[in-house]
Amino acid sequence: MKRFLIWLALLAPLLTLGLFALSKGWFYPEPFPAQWTSQAFSRLLNDSRTLKAILDSLLLAFIVSLLSLIIGYPAAREIGLRDFPGKKYVWLAIFLPTVIPPLAIGMGLSILALQTGLAGTRLGIILAHIVPTLPYTVFTLAGVFARYDENYEYQALALGASPTRIFFTVTLRLLAPGLAVAGLFAFLISWSQYLLTLLVGGGRVLTLPVLLFSAVSGGNPTTISALSLLFLAPPVLIIAATARFLGENPNDIHERI
Amino acid sequence: MTTLTFTHITKSYPKRDTPVLDDFLLDVQSGELVSLLGPSGIGKSTLLKLIAGIERPDAGDIRFDGESVLSTAPNQREAVFMFQKAYLFPFLNVGENIAFGLKVKGFSTKERLIKVAEMLDLIGLPGIEKRPPNELSGGEQQRVALARSLVIRPKVLLLDEPFNSLDRPVRLSLQEAVRNIQRELGITTLLVTHDLDEAMAMSDRMALMMGGKVAAIDKPQRLFQKPPCVETAKFVGVKLFIEGVASSGTLVSAEWGKLKIEDEQKVGRSIFAIRPEHIRIQKEKCENALAGVVKNCVYRGTQIEMKIALGERVLRAHIPAKNEIMPAEEPVQVILPKEHLFAVN
Repeated sequence: MKRFLIWLALLAPLLTLGLFALSKGWFYPEPFPAQWTSQAFSRLLNDSRTLKAILDSLLLAFIVSLLSLIIGYPAAREIGLRDFPGKKYVWLAIFLPTVIPPLAIGMGLSILALQTGLAGTRLGIILAHIVPTLPYTVFTLAGVFARYDENYEYQALALGASPTRIFFTVTLRLLAPGLAVAGLFAFLISWSQYLLTLLVGGGRVLTLPVLLFSAVSGGNPTTISALSLLFLAPPVLIIAATARFLGENPNDIHERI
Repeated sequence: MTTLTFTHITKSYPKRDTPVLDDFLLDVQSGELVSLLGPSGIGKSTLLKLIAGIERPDAGDIRFDGESVLSTAPNQREAVFMFQKAYLFPFLNVGENIAFGLKVKGFSTKERLIKVAEMLDLIGLPGIEKRPPNELSGGEQQRVALARSLVIRPKVLLLDEPFNSLDRPVRLSLQEAVRNIQRELGITTLLVTHDLDEAMAMSDRMALMMGGKVAAIDKPQRLFQKPPCVETAKFVGVKLFIEGVASSGTLVSAEWGKLKIEDEQKVGRSIFAIRPEHIRIQKEKCENALAGVVKNCVYRGTQIEMKIALGERVLRAHIPAKNEIMPAEEPVQVILPKEHLFAVN
């Protein structure tokens, strides 16, 4: 019973969205839509602007998560594995973007983008997205590294492997679950980013959240619902595909002493 | 075959006041197994890291066959590790794990298969190439780790308490296996341990580490029977130390009175010691006898451990298990046979 209620609470908004998206007018006091249609979806999926926005959002989120991982990896490794003077302050600096109001960051980035000519470009948006994704990537990876045992790498080193080889054949394999989780965080943050995209992109780069916001102000519930569901689909699919990695400790997959 | 030489190694860490290793000197012969014994935090593991190149010494040199390896990259040194945990790569099967180093060195698939099979025979686990490491027991994992390290025929094998997490029977059989394989392949080996029994059972020589250097090094038997200094003696289980003035075969101690000693040459202030199993307990008085009363007896199967009160002082003696277990408060004579009293300074 408790479970059922939890599921209901989680799914009810989604079901409502689904009903709206498939209805052709749904008015009070009807409990369910009187007429059904998949028009909204077919219209959106045939609309080149929407399709381009989906592809753009996916591509941006993918590049942003990849860059966040690459930039965050060395920092997370150092924080997770070593103690050094001033570690507290490094943490603080890394977390700053999450505590400063997004609008303040956004305005600053917007001005910077205009000055450097990055305004309205995909590169500008990617760099802007990295600001909020990086703290989460570093935080997740630092947790992974705190439980990571470097002795695996020392073993490989003693067996003659070069540092590059060790990174690709040992470290990445051991850290794959943690990297997937950290990358997923970055992906989701970038995927749902509206404010920074708008401020830096200036409306010239249309991502799905930007489209969604303009649809919301348009006020057609069918379109809004269908677009919302399209917006939800990729993250849900990605989480479903990587769910088995979530919460898994990279170092205790094996060993039974 | 490789000799291993340490000259005046010094190593400090920023967070510690005293250096972990301080003018550390050691020579290991080719094919020899030397164990490094000592309490934890004494720099044993640091030493292994220095050899493997994971850390650098502040001063001093490490030489393989007389040639410094300090400028050699860690992955070119051919010094392999065996830790408390096997650290088998979980994403590779047993065969691939053992072949890891061979693959790095560019051996062909065929050569790798042959060498892996050879190593599995050597460690007594033939035919398990395809098994994933997590299906093996702790002891088996350690054997595979040993095979993975030795298949590349390294110059030096570094054992960092590799048997600690294993149950006693597994530990003993693995100690024997490692020792036999090490002898058979003639690989120069350093064993770090805090377990005296393990060090004695496995080493050609054992070195006791104190204050960042080797306090004593010798064959296990000699170090156990005639430790050269008080610290070493304590470490190998000596409990009774007698301070006094020696002259012409007699030791005069304020605490223990007059005792006969064998060493006629010893003159002046000295400390003598005796192993607990050399102390005799009997009813009759004789030479070097002290009167006391039994405090308690613990039966250990191979020996009886007794605590005997001599006035205010308490003395421990290990007597053969065939003896009667004496009741508490029984008056006895404690004999310190003069042939077993040895000088430790």
